[in-house]
Amino acid sequence: MAKILIVNPVIREEDVPKHIPYGLSLLASIAIAKGHLVQIYDANAWRKGFGVLEQAARADDWDVIAIGGLTTSYGFIKKAVHIFRECAPRAFVIAGGGFLSSMPLEIMGWIPHIDLGIIGEAFVTWPEVLAMLDRGERDFSKTQGVCWRGADGAPHLNEVRPNIKDLDVLPYPAWDLLPLEEVYFPKGSQLYFSEESYTAKRRIDINGSLGCGLICKFCWHLGTTGEMIVEPNEQGVNDVRFTYGRNIRWHSPKYIVGMVKELIRKYQVDFVSFIDENMMTMNAASRGLWLPELCELWIQEGLQPECRRKGVPHDENCRTGVHWSGTSHATLAKKPILDAMFKAGCSHLVYGIESFDPYILKHLGKGTTQKSNVEAVQTCLDSGVRPIPNIIIGFPDESFDSIRTTLTHMVTCGIHSKPHFATPYPGSEWYYTYKNSIIEQYGGELEQFILSLGDASSPTVSISRNFSAMDLLGLQQIMSKRDFRLLDQAEKHWKRTRREDVPLAVPQESFNIIPRKVNAPMEDVARAI
Amino acid sequence: MSELLKGNFKVRNPVAAEERRPPESLAETQRKRALASIGGSMVYVERTPLNWDGDGDGRKTG
Repeated sequence: MAKILIVNPVIREEDVPKHIPYGLSLLASIAIAKGHLVQIYDANAWRKGFGVLEQAARADDWDVIAIGGLTTSYGFIKKAVHIFRECAPRAFVIAGGGFLSSMPLEIMGWIPHIDLGIIGEAFVTWPEVLAMLDRGERDFSKTQGVCWRGADGAPHLNEVRPNIKDLDVLPYPAWDLLPLEEVYFPKGSQLYFSEESYTAKRRIDINGSLGCGLICKFCWHLGTTGEMIVEPNEQGVNDVRFTYGRNIRWHSPKYIVGMVKELIRKYQVDFVSFIDENMMTMNAASRGLWLPELCELWIQEGLQPECRRKGVPHDENCRTGVHWSGTSHATLAKKPILDAMFKAGCSHLVYGIESFDPYILKHLGKGTTQKSNVEAVQTCLDSGVRPIPNIIIGFPDESFDSIRTTLTHMVTCGIHSKPHFATPYPGSEWYYTYKNSIIEQYGGELEQFILSLGDASSPTVSISRNFSAMDLLGLQQIMSKRDFRLLDQAEKHWKRTRREDVPLAVPQESFNIIPRKVNAPMEDVARAI
Repeated sequence: MSELLKGNFKVRNPVAAEERRPPESLAETQRKRALASIGGSMVYVERTPLNWDGDGDGRKTG
C-alpha cells in the first residue's frame, strides 16, 4: 500500500473557502477503499501559508504526493510542487485536474517536478497508477489517461482513458478528511443567493452529474464529458483535442438522496449546493425523468424542508429537512419542473444568461435566445425558486448596442449584476481559437496569462473585436450602476475618437479544437471502481 | 487547533502548528488594510525614497 498525501490548492484567495475539494476527496475515498494510507492537507480551507505546506510535505515518508485543481490554482500548484520536491524528494508527485488536462504538454514543461500527470477523468487511472507504484513499476508508457516523462524528462501523452459508464459505482467523498467542522461549516456555509442559503449553517457541496450537452464556446469540461481525445498534432506529438462529443452521465436519484441522508447522519447538514455543470441539461438528456424522480424521492425520504412542507415562507425557524440549489438553463427550465424543485426544497438556481443580445446569443453555442432568457427569469421567480443569472461582457462581437440591449433587459428583469468578463480559459474553444492573440497580449508569455486567471471578475485578456480591457472595465462599472447616460456618452466619444477598425483579438483555427461531434470513448459496461 | 492533516492513519510528524512566521508589524497591517480600501480620497503612499532624476528642476521652459 502507498502512503499518500493529497493537497488541495488555494483558490479564490480573496474569498472565504466555500467549496469542498469534491474531486480530490472522491479520489481519497477511492484510494482508501483500495487499502492505501491517505492524508489530505486542504490548503484552501486552512489558508496557513507555504510554511505549513512544507511541514505537511515533511510530515511522513510519502510515497505519493498528489495535487490537482482548476487552471486558476496554477500559481499555487507550481509553488507547491517545488516545495514537495524540496521537502519530500523521495515522493512521486502526481498532478491532475483541469489545470493539467487543458494543456498537459505545456504544464509538464513549466512544472518539471511533476512526475506524472493524470489527464481527464481519474476514477480508474488514479487507483491503477497507485497499484503500479505499489508494485514498483515506473513505466507508464502503456497506461491510458496519463502524461508521463521519458528518460530525458520530456512529457509524453498517452491515449485518453474511457469515461466510466455508471457514476453510481463511485464511493462517497472522504468528507472525514476535510475540515468541515473547523472551516467549511462555520466559515463557508452562508451564501447570499437566497434566504435559504443565507440562513444555512451546515452547507456542503454535492455533485449529481458529469457533463453538459451544450457547446458554449467559453466553457470547458476537460475530459469529464467525453469531449476530449488525444491525437498526434502537426509535429506528430500526441496532444489533447476538444470536440463537441459528449458522454453525459448522472447519478441515480437513489445515490444522491442516499448521499444526502448520509451527510445528515454524519454532519447534520441543512443545505446542499449541487455543483453540477448544468442540472437542467442532465434532465433533458434523461428525457425529463431525472429531476422529477429526484424531487419525488427527496420528499419521500423525508428531506423536504419544513417550510415547503407547511407552505410558508422560509425563515430561521425552518429547522428540518435540507434546502438545496443547483444549475439551470433558460430554454430547458419549464414551470412544472421548477415547481417540483421548489416543493422539494430548491432555493436558487444559477442560470448562465450571459447576455440578452440576440446576435451574441446566437453565436455562443448555448441554445438560448433573448426571449428564452427573459422568460426564464420570470418563470423561475413564479415557481418560487430564485434565479441567479450570470452576465458576461466582452464577447468577441460585443458592441455598444449589445451592451445596451443587455443592460435594458437586466433592468426590466430586475437583475443587479457586475458582469464577468468573457475569459478564454484553457480547454475552452475560445482559448484555442484566440491563443495567438492571448500570447500577443502577454508579450509572448503564455504562462503569465495562466498565472493571471481568476474568477473572471477582473479582465485578463480581451477577445473582443471592439473593446480593450480599459473599455470593458468602464462598461462593467456602467452596467453595475445601470447608468444609461454614461453609456451613451461613452459610445459617442468612442465612435468619435476611433480612427480605424483594428480588431484586438483575431480567431484562428486550432489543432486542439474539433468543432464537431467526435465522441471520446466510454466503457461499454459498468465496472466497480 | 485541530489536525491540519486528516487521514486514515497517524502521521509521523503531526502538522498542528501555525505557520512559524514573525508577527506582522503595525505598519504592515495598516498598509494591507489601506491598500484594500483604496478609492476616492482613500489613498496610500509607500515609504520609498524618491529622488528627482529628471532634467533641470522639472519646470516647463520655452
